[in-house]
Amino acid sequence: MSEAQTKTSVFTQNPNSSNEVVLEAKNIVKRFPGVVALDHVSFNVRKGEILALLGENGAGKSTLVKILYGVYVPDEGEIAVEGRRVFITSPLEAIKLGISMVSQVPQIIGSLTVAENIILGLSKYGMISKISRVKEFIREESKRTGIEVDPDIEVWKLSYTQKQLVELLRSVILGAKVIMLDEAITFLPIQEKRRFYEFLRRFVGQGGSAILITHKIPEALEAADRITVLRRGKVVGTVDAKKTTLDQVRKMMFGERSSEITYERLPPSKPTEEVVVDVEDLWVLGAHGEYAVKGVTLEVRAGEVYGIAGVAGNGQLELIQSVIGLRKPVKGSVRVKLNSKPIDVSKVGIGKIRSIGVGYIPDEPLKFGVSMENNIEENLAMLPSITNGIIRWGRIKKLAESLIKDFDIKTPSSKTKVKLLSGGNLMKVLVSRELMVSKKLLVAYNPTRALDEVTAIMVRKRIKEKALNEKLAVLMASEDLDEVLQVSDKIAVMNSGKIVRVFNAQEAKREEIEKLMVM
Amino acid sequence: MKMKLIVTRRVKPLRYGGVVIPLLSLIIGVVISQLILWAVGVPPELFYGTMAGSFIAPEMLRPFVLLTILGAALLVAFIGAVWNIGAEGQIIWGMIVAAYIGVFVAAHSIKVPLSELPKYESMPGAQVLDATYGVVSVVLWNPVLAGLVMILAAAAVGAVWAAISGALRAYLEIDEVASTLIMNYIAYYSLNQLATGPMRGLSVQAAQFGRTDALNDALRFPRLPIPGTTVTTVEVILAVIAFVGVWFMLKYTSFGLRLKILGSNPNALKAAGVDTRKYITLALTLSGLIAGTVGAALFAGDYFFLGKIDNIVSPPTQNMGYTAILVAWLAMLDIRAIPISAYIIAGLMQSGATLQANLGTMAGLSGMISGAAITYTLIGFVLLTFSVLRVLTEYRIRFVRGGPK
Repeated sequence: MSEAQTKTSVFTQNPNSSNEVVLEAKNIVKRFPGVVALDHVSFNVRKGEILALLGENGAGKSTLVKILYGVYVPDEGEIAVEGRRVFITSPLEAIKLGISMVSQVPQIIGSLTVAENIILGLSKYGMISKISRVKEFIREESKRTGIEVDPDIEVWKLSYTQKQLVELLRSVILGAKVIMLDEAITFLPIQEKRRFYEFLRRFVGQGGSAILITHKIPEALEAADRITVLRRGKVVGTVDAKKTTLDQVRKMMFGERSSEITYERLPPSKPTEEVVVDVEDLWVLGAHGEYAVKGVTLEVRAGEVYGIAGVAGNGQLELIQSVIGLRKPVKGSVRVKLNSKPIDVSKVGIGKIRSIGVGYIPDEPLKFGVSMENNIEENLAMLPSITNGIIRWGRIKKLAESLIKDFDIKTPSSKTKVKLLSGGNLMKVLVSRELMVSKKLLVAYNPTRALDEVTAIMVRKRIKEKALNEKLAVLMASEDLDEVLQVSDKIAVMNSGKIVRVFNAQEAKREEIEKLMVM
Repeated sequence: MKMKLIVTRRVKPLRYGGVVIPLLSLIIGVVISQLILWAVGVPPELFYGTMAGSFIAPEMLRPFVLLTILGAALLVAFIGAVWNIGAEGQIIWGMIVAAYIGVFVAAHSIKVPLSELPKYESMPGAQVLDATYGVVSVVLWNPVLAGLVMILAAAAVGAVWAAISGALRAYLEIDEVASTLIMNYIAYYSLNQLATGPMRGLSVQAAQFGRTDALNDALRFPRLPIPGTTVTTVEVILAVIAFVGVWFMLKYTSFGLRLKILGSNPNALKAAGVDTRKYITLALTLSGLIAGTVGAALFAGDYFFLGKIDNIVSPPTQNMGYTAILVAWLAMLDIRAIPISAYIIAGLMQSGATLQANLGTMAGLSGMISGAAITYTLIGFVLLTFSVLRVLTEYRIRFVRGGPK
């Protein structure tokens, strides 16, 4: 199939989309301590359509999807599936009703094979199917989508793209009527993304439906039939994707602030000659004992933003972790120069460099970035570079409040447990804290994951300002190519554990980078 | 209109749950125990009368104070998700070291000709331990200094004993539940070896039963001037220090805060640049340090000698190292609730003992039910209710109108 054909078959609206409503939410209200997350939200999904659910951070998208998936139960309101009122109190119930979810992080078991994972899902929900039939289905779909997945391979050996396909296939086998994708394909390279949309198109063409959550609005416009926009817990409106424009949707989402959105390259910073990070011939093992980083050499200078582009699972994560000192390399060295003497991070570990002013925005922020059971103040005070010994809570409170104000973190107070914040606001707590403690170096992985366009751009600007004004060195890996392109002074493309090429930002071409990412 | 009942998980915990749940558990647990004991012939009025009395009996003051110290000790470890099941061993080593200082260093026993005994009887700081063999204890140190050294040494050795398990867990990933538990038995048998061997005393009792000589009266911790109680001033001071110290540490120090995060999210701590292995070791060390002091208190405030443990299920710790696990748990790992929870457990322990005594005077029932059995029936049902309530209160039940058609 040629590129042009793919485009037409994928990115056109489905003429067969009927008006028959498959899933409907009526007047949903959900309150969390101190906030009304959803305020009488009503929306519906029709049979045979892709509905995009858009909104800024904390608008209530995730809460709404979690309600439909049975993670939360609404305080008020009704949910109906095919016109029948239902009570979804657990994901188990949701799946039985034909509602399934694919999230950004694959939820499949690494040590089992693809087929075993799917069979496990089936038996969990009381369904039985022959393993041979499941394998046949996987092979067929794999061929159709052009994403190669061997049903007998262990999941940990798969790439991120392949894992996400397995997740989708599992939903289909489980008999999903509605598949909800919560940023599930946001970080895939464009070619593979196309294949996923193609897959979804086929799925809705056969009478299924999909709810798409993404921060990439242009994509939603292309792929969806209708768009429902949420803002501060309320539905702003639902529009026909064909008849609306990017600007209109952004206005609905952000109001006046939509004018702040830009994807232009931020002004270049002016690096000095001083090398802050010096990585030499680094070899690092991944979680399953295979080499994830294979001989990487790089240098980051003071005042420079060094961006690493690549599809998830190509060794960027392990590289970042060993630069910050969380993962010991097998071979090679990582030297970080903060004062006069370089520190060999692979020998001293993370504690030393973190305590003297290296910021770190980790992958999986919920696991590594913040402590969910603690409040915002405690999440600041936990850093050795912020407190040591007796904690002066008055000072911490002031710090917290200034970050809340500065980054517009939506929270009832600085003493709110972070688990009660929305994903985006939680990420803001982490990012603002790490930017604050970064004196000489910031190491980051997907620094704007889960942030909406306006906030993400604000964060990128802050990073760039710090590089420009305070000569901060930044080493950043991101699965979001837009981000790498916008903020980096140097762009390295990582593929299969190696840096395949380094561009100066001015010379970098998007198409060329994408090719290198997937070759 | 049809009603449908749905069960959902609470987003925020039950208000006042920290007080309501333990109290409700106490009431329900006591009632269940009463019904069972009623079935075997214990009259309800006797049961409730004893219960009510036990919670205000001066005798329960001592277990209350000691369980507060131990509850605080265990909480320090538990809050970091480091499971110190080894308070027993830490107490025992505290006793051993306190006994060594009390009987061999700050005072010592000498054998004197029987003819010289009268001379010692009137000598200040000397005490005749055994008139038949002519064994006399002579105080060498100032009692306050001796007491202080006994406590500090007991704390130090308790800390070291616990630190072994801590380091094993932190650096070699050996489960501390198993290692602390096993080390309790090592401690019990070490005590037996020492008491019957190198530390065996000179007096006739010591020779006969395999134990150390008794602590000189001058070095014994003075009791609180409340009739009926055996609690000492030192124990009360230790409890206050342990309680306030742990409270302060958890609320106002970065160490305390990180300890709490160690319990809920060690990964975030690692990414923040904190050496979690060090924190795991320190959590157990500090826990053992506090527990160790109880060893000194038990030796110099209650037993006054170190004797061979004949029955391993009833060591001189009175199993308080284990009971304190329940105290920490009943307090839901909230330091402010530790005294309340220690009070409840101490009251239940006292109830068992008093009930046994009272039943002893009743025809047909004497000796049938042991105090320990009653105590553990009570504690068992209270904690069972507690654990059920704790899970149940995480959910709430709601009625919604309009069930499915």
